[in-house]
Amino acid sequence: MVNVFAVPVFFICFRECLETSIIVSVLLAFLKQTLGPEHDASVRKRLVRQIWLGVGLGIFICVVIGAGLIGAFYKAGKEAFDSAELIWEGVFAIIASLIITLMGAALLRVNKLQDKWRVKIAKALENNDTSRLSMNGRFKKWCEKYAMFLLPFVTVLREGIEAVLFIGGVGLGMPATSFPLAVICGLGAGGLVGFLIYKGGNRTSLQIFLIISTCFLYLIAAGLFSKGVWDFEANAWTKTAGEGVTEAGSGPGSYDIRKSVWHVNCCTPGSKGDGGWGIFNSLFGWQNSATIGSVLSYNLYWLVVIVGFLLLGFKERKGHWPLQKKPAPAAGDIRSESDGSSGVVEQKHEGAATLNVREVNA
Amino acid sequence: MAMSLSNFLLPIALFLAFTSAATVTHDFDVSWVQANPDGAHPRPVIGVNGKWPLPVIVVTKGDRVVVNVKNSLGNQSTSLHFHGLYQYGSNHMDGPVQVTQCPIPPGSSFTYNFTVDQPGTYWYHSHNKGQYPDGIRAPFIVHDPDSPFKDLYDEEIVLPFSDWYHDEMSGLLADFISIKNPSGAEPVPNSNLVNETQNLSVSIKAGKTYLVRMVNMGAFAAQYVWFEGHTMRIVEVDGVYTEPTEADMIYMTAAQRYSVLITAKNSTDANFAFVGSMDQDLFDAIPKGLNPNVTGWLVYDEKKEKPAPKEIAAFEPFDDFILVPEDKQGILDSVDHTITLNMKMDNLADGANYAFFNDVTYVRPKVPTLYTVLSSGDQATNPAIYGSNTNQIVLKANETVEIILNNDDPGKHPFHLHGHEFQVVSRSEEEAGAYVASDAMPPTPMRRDTILVRPNGNVVLRFKASNPGVWLFHCHIEWHVASGLVATIIEDPLALQAQLSNQIPASHMQVCKDSNTPTAGNAAGNTKDLFNLAGERKAPSAIPAGFTAKGIVALVFSTLAAFVGMAVIGWYGMAPIKSKSG
Repeated sequence: MVNVFAVPVFFICFRECLETSIIVSVLLAFLKQTLGPEHDASVRKRLVRQIWLGVGLGIFICVVIGAGLIGAFYKAGKEAFDSAELIWEGVFAIIASLIITLMGAALLRVNKLQDKWRVKIAKALENNDTSRLSMNGRFKKWCEKYAMFLLPFVTVLREGIEAVLFIGGVGLGMPATSFPLAVICGLGAGGLVGFLIYKGGNRTSLQIFLIISTCFLYLIAAGLFSKGVWDFEANAWTKTAGEGVTEAGSGPGSYDIRKSVWHVNCCTPGSKGDGGWGIFNSLFGWQNSATIGSVLSYNLYWLVVIVGFLLLGFKERKGHWPLQKKPAPAAGDIRSESDGSSGVVEQKHEGAATLNVREVNA
Repeated sequence: MAMSLSNFLLPIALFLAFTSAATVTHDFDVSWVQANPDGAHPRPVIGVNGKWPLPVIVVTKGDRVVVNVKNSLGNQSTSLHFHGLYQYGSNHMDGPVQVTQCPIPPGSSFTYNFTVDQPGTYWYHSHNKGQYPDGIRAPFIVHDPDSPFKDLYDEEIVLPFSDWYHDEMSGLLADFISIKNPSGAEPVPNSNLVNETQNLSVSIKAGKTYLVRMVNMGAFAAQYVWFEGHTMRIVEVDGVYTEPTEADMIYMTAAQRYSVLITAKNSTDANFAFVGSMDQDLFDAIPKGLNPNVTGWLVYDEKKEKPAPKEIAAFEPFDDFILVPEDKQGILDSVDHTITLNMKMDNLADGANYAFFNDVTYVRPKVPTLYTVLSSGDQATNPAIYGSNTNQIVLKANETVEIILNNDDPGKHPFHLHGHEFQVVSRSEEEAGAYVASDAMPPTPMRRDTILVRPNGNVVLRFKASNPGVWLFHCHIEWHVASGLVATIIEDPLALQAQLSNQIPASHMQVCKDSNTPTAGNAAGNTKDLFNLAGERKAPSAIPAGFTAKGIVALVFSTLAAFVGMAVIGWYGMAPIKSKSG
């Protein structure tokens, strides 16, 4: 299982693909609205084709860059990291955990993402009229002409390369065979959810779906965080006990008894034949040999996540952070953030919550 | 008891009647001296009277031996064990600390005084805290005016072989039994020695026959030994004469001895190399540049070249199991008492690796076991008083004892029994597993006092419990003694009381006082209630299997944290839905 399906990779692909498909869906919806049946069907067709061309080209370039980049990552990684494998596995697990943590919250506000892009696109197109001819006027004009191509193209490219970098960072500790299925599933699921949003299906059930997948995402991230700490400790133990650790297999001596919280001589994640425990490991961070560090880090991770979400929720409801003074009435006016369909860009949101930084910058 | 007492008196009476025994006295002032036997690393070693190597003790059968030991080490206690001597009637002179005596602390003195009524090749060494590899060891030769082979050789040569460490045992032991060494990997020797040196020249004369007495005085490594161009005829193992048997190469574990006849060539045209080669199978990781071999030469002509030893294709040593004792003593065939010892290595709760007989690792009791016997009256026959970590086995007078030793470890182990020689009635090949009863036993089995048991194999030993005393049975790899591969055989304790009650010399009692060691009571030093072992020395506890309370709490908390976390995520995620409907 671990060798076939890299769960973090799946979620990264899912997340990036979802964002892309939302943008595409917004664009398509926009075309549908602005170029209604009264408009020339051929113009609409041409613009739709532009959109899909942009998506297609973006994906293609991403795949090329991604394949090259991950290939290079892997080659360099295997050579450089072999000597201190546990350290690197730990580093990557923690990086992956942080990435997932930061991305995860945004997934719960996907509907906002849709609104934001709607505004963005509207602005981009409105600017057509107020074009100030300048030195690079021709370029600008060209851009305007092909906006329907450029927008999805750039978006796909950006999200795609982001995904590639994340996967590269997260995936170095994982076997190469675990990538393809996870990538395909992630893209498929992301596309499907994007399509559902486009179709404007039941938003409530969609949101519940998103909540469930976010929960999984944080379970995985908690496990990864704990595994990262575990790897560091295992590395320190290997340094202390040397050869004996490998000799001990999963029995006594394979772990530092001084730091052990529990140890069962079975159910080793990652070892061949114990596939089920590998799933347990990648989903929940299961270890047959738990250490004080791995248990504490798991619980601390959740503590931070819980506090983080409580703060975010507080902020969304009250418009300011706890212990912070209420914002001036002027700013308080635009407290319609939770009204997803209003289409108002929530400027106040920017820079306030680290967890949402990416969403805002998008 | 009366029976065994007369058994004891009879030989003494005989020997008083027919021999005029000498007394051989040695005064040993034991102290640290500087030495560099392999020329690679000077280090402090434990010497005697300011010198190292220690003197070879040579006596004649029937002699009385007196060794006055003064401990001038300053930082370590010590003791002397005379390996292979039966110490009939003198169990208190056997030497293992906390077994038959108290440690001799720095500044104290102790006298060993016993008669030797057995011929052969023996050795003496400290039996305290893995000390002898620091140098306190030497051969102990007992000449035999009645030797069946005395006309077959002209001269004797003594060749002790030994592995050698550049570091002192105290530090090596601390690293060995440590959480940092969970696999129990034994320290690997730095070099190999013969006669406590290297490149040894042994002058021999053409045409003469020599009795070469070889001893492995090493801490760890077994030795392959061969003499180029010369065949050995084995005539003695561990003090037991054997029918002369030819061998080209012998395998000598730690503490084993072989006497072989070697007949010199008739010409003096060339000198011949002989080699002791450490068995590297025993080593966990072989360090780069380790030379497992030590070379010496049979020198016919000092002016001629001393050739480097030839490479050999494979080690094909002689199998000692097929030896036949010269006295043709028949197999002890009606066994009264069978003892099964299953040995293994495992880790305990302190993370270090220990060795076990039947899941118990040996820990030295507070009171030397002999003194527990002597102070416990009728209760001496009850094993319970000897503690929970001494692997005690109480034997009755004159019963025929069989020890079945199953080696549940992938290593080779040389097992030694104090106070006896034993018949080796069965020995398996490697990987044979536990012993399965079989009638296929030699009619006149080989006897010796130290026997190799092969990796994951077994060995069956028999002896008659005719020597009252407290005798250790242990692996003679010094690392494994330290990690607890030791059993205590308490043989006919009531007869032992009759022999030795109020017979313990003043110097023995004095070192107990000097070292604050209690001399009465059970293993815990409790004299009132012998069955109350509160306060005894014990091994660290076993490693708990699976989940303990700590683990369950941790798992519950982690699960709880995850569920609360997901609930909060749900709460946050539901916000848009609520606001939409509201």
